[in-house]
Amino acid sequence: MGLTACGGGGNGGGGGGKVSGSTLTVYSSLPLQGASRPQSQALVNGMKLAWERAGKKAGKFKINYVSLDDSTAQAGKWDPGQVSANARKAAQDDTTILYLGEFNSGASAISIPILNRAGIGQISPSNTAVGLTSNDPGAEPGEPQKYYPTGKRTYVRVVPKDTIQGAAIATVMKQEGCKKPYILNDKEVYGQGLASNAEQSLKAEGIPALGNEGWDPKAPNYRSVASKIAGKGADCVFLSGITDNNGVQLTKDIAAGVPNAKIYGPDGLCESAWADPKKGGMPTSIDSRVECTVATLDPDKYPPEGKKFFADYKAKYGEANPDPYAIYGYETMSLALDAIERAGDNGGDRAAVIRELFNTKDRQSVLGTYSIDVNGDTSITDYGLYKIDNGQIKFDRVVKAKGASA
Amino acid sequence: MEAASVPARTTRTASLDAARRLVSHYGLIAVLMILPVAYGIHDLRVDGDLSRLGENLKDGVSNGAIWALVAIGYTLVYGIIELINFAHGEVFMLGSFVSFSFWSALGLTLASKGAGLLFGLLLTLIVAMVACGGLNVMIERVAYRPLRNAPKLAPLITAVGFSFILQNVGLEWLGGSQRGVDDLIKAQNDLFTIGGVHITHADVLAVAVTVPLVALLAWFVTRTRLGKAMRATAQDPEAARLMGVNVDTTISLTFLIGGMMAGAAGLIYALYQTTIWFFQGFQAGLIAFTAAVMGGIGNIQGAVLGGLIIGCIQQISDNRIGGEWTPAIVFAYLVLIMVFKPQGLLGEETREAG
Repeated sequence: MGLTACGGGGNGGGGGGKVSGSTLTVYSSLPLQGASRPQSQALVNGMKLAWERAGKKAGKFKINYVSLDDSTAQAGKWDPGQVSANARKAAQDDTTILYLGEFNSGASAISIPILNRAGIGQISPSNTAVGLTSNDPGAEPGEPQKYYPTGKRTYVRVVPKDTIQGAAIATVMKQEGCKKPYILNDKEVYGQGLASNAEQSLKAEGIPALGNEGWDPKAPNYRSVASKIAGKGADCVFLSGITDNNGVQLTKDIAAGVPNAKIYGPDGLCESAWADPKKGGMPTSIDSRVECTVATLDPDKYPPEGKKFFADYKAKYGEANPDPYAIYGYETMSLALDAIERAGDNGGDRAAVIRELFNTKDRQSVLGTYSIDVNGDTSITDYGLYKIDNGQIKFDRVVKAKGASA
Repeated sequence: MEAASVPARTTRTASLDAARRLVSHYGLIAVLMILPVAYGIHDLRVDGDLSRLGENLKDGVSNGAIWALVAIGYTLVYGIIELINFAHGEVFMLGSFVSFSFWSALGLTLASKGAGLLFGLLLTLIVAMVACGGLNVMIERVAYRPLRNAPKLAPLITAVGFSFILQNVGLEWLGGSQRGVDDLIKAQNDLFTIGGVHITHADVLAVAVTVPLVALLAWFVTRTRLGKAMRATAQDPEAARLMGVNVDTTISLTFLIGGMMAGAAGLIYALYQTTIWFFQGFQAGLIAFTAAVMGGIGNIQGAVLGGLIIGCIQQISDNRIGGEWTPAIVFAYLVLIMVFKPQGLLGEETREAG
């Protein structure tokens, strides 16, 4: 007994707290159902690999790892109620030291404030929405302050924010000869934010978008939307949203209704459930017109530690070509364990661990060397461009976004 | 005083009534024509022809044909037992699922062509119609018939209950995400072009299945003995029973027909959209129910008309105003139509209303 963790389910305080025993718990919260399941599974596998390789320990502490599911079968994707239940579960567990998640930015917008009040540090392996960490272009009014009720930052992420992805996509569109781009977004925190980033970057590239409008995720089809875009003479369409918001139907209808246009998807679409017809994705006949970006690179482009990760992953899970997110799962857990270890004797002190997260400087990781800034953002800015080949997502090249700065 | 004021008031009421009648006759037409006429003028000025509006209306009719088939199920059931069969949208959803599973079992793929494909799909149509018809009859037998004399809320709740049960069956069957199915008919390929309007395979499919089914249904209801029994039961079940109509069988028959229409709509939907999911029935059910109310619930032609009108409003809105506004615009139209004509476009007086 004698645990002093305070906070708990959103009752203010924000003081963090200390875990008195020698066993700490790290939670992950990811959508284990729906279209994002393959990535979530890869993330969990990566996290487990890092945890096991560290001997399930960090410094002098024994680490428990608990994987939570933030999706429901009904929703088929992340569910607001489930996200907040997960965050509360972690907040109410006196042994919780860090929380890894969520996968979707819209979901993190719900869990960050709950964990912030409880003083628990959070690392997302995949969130890219700008407003979660800063008020840079693409953020909504009131962001990011509204996510941090205590006024102290508790959230970091290992992928670049969408000012970079927006710029990367605009760079690719420019390189590939787009003259009249059009943007559709799914109106979620992530999709809408990224769309506005891309809109600004396209303008900066000198090819302003003809339009940026929302799509209704529950619409049966998008044929009239497509014929409108065709009517405006668009030659490239950027679909800023996630697969679970009817992304496949949208892609099919745009491909058919805007016959010569190239179609670009962000990391929210770049997954097998979108690309592979065997998993309910788009037909292979349109593969050659579709490309997508993810903040992951070709296994060959990673530093030696990264290449070693892929060898280990293959040895443990038998997959030679794991989902691009596996390595981010690994790094998320590694960073978590590293921060606890760096806190030394204070490894059980939530506030000390958060401090160490933000003190991450020139960390040599599987992703390359990076630092975390005061907002919780990574200094890595590379984006990978992927092509679709016969339903498979294939790495094409690294995109150095023009004008993007971390 | 009293005597003097009465005629004056009557005159005023009469002229108000006349005005209201005028508005309800022509106001409604005016409301319905606002969007097409405004955009037609816009197109003539900007493009010099009406092909874009034509394209909108064509898409509207082919999408609306699916809503019409689902709406018929709502309207038939309401007409005969005054129950809103909330589970109907889910029966339609399962129609899509049965179709997809059956044609997959038959081995129909993207490579299937010609007579094999046609035969396979016809067989699928029959299977989907029989399965959904049977399911609907079963639902009626289990959840509604025992409550025939219960308070009206009771069958309403069992209907909602069945809706959730079937939704969960769909969820277990194909999971929670939208699922792309093979585009067997190359849905979006053009078949021909008239006046700048592209007619695709999907459009032809929707119309080619819906028109004969609706015609057959209209013939059945107006010309056959069973159809007459249905109408008699709808008018007055007690009197129909006294005249020798087997009311229970007639009601079962109504559910069978409604379910069969939903099954056909399910197959068309799967082929037309090429994406199915367990929640499609909720969406479609809401739209089709709206179509049935808009057209005048209890009236088959009204359901078809309502379906087509909603289809057109949706497509015009998607194309001109923005997809994010479409649901709001559809329901704004519903409100306007209801205000002008509470009984719906072709509404008849039902037992309840009349």
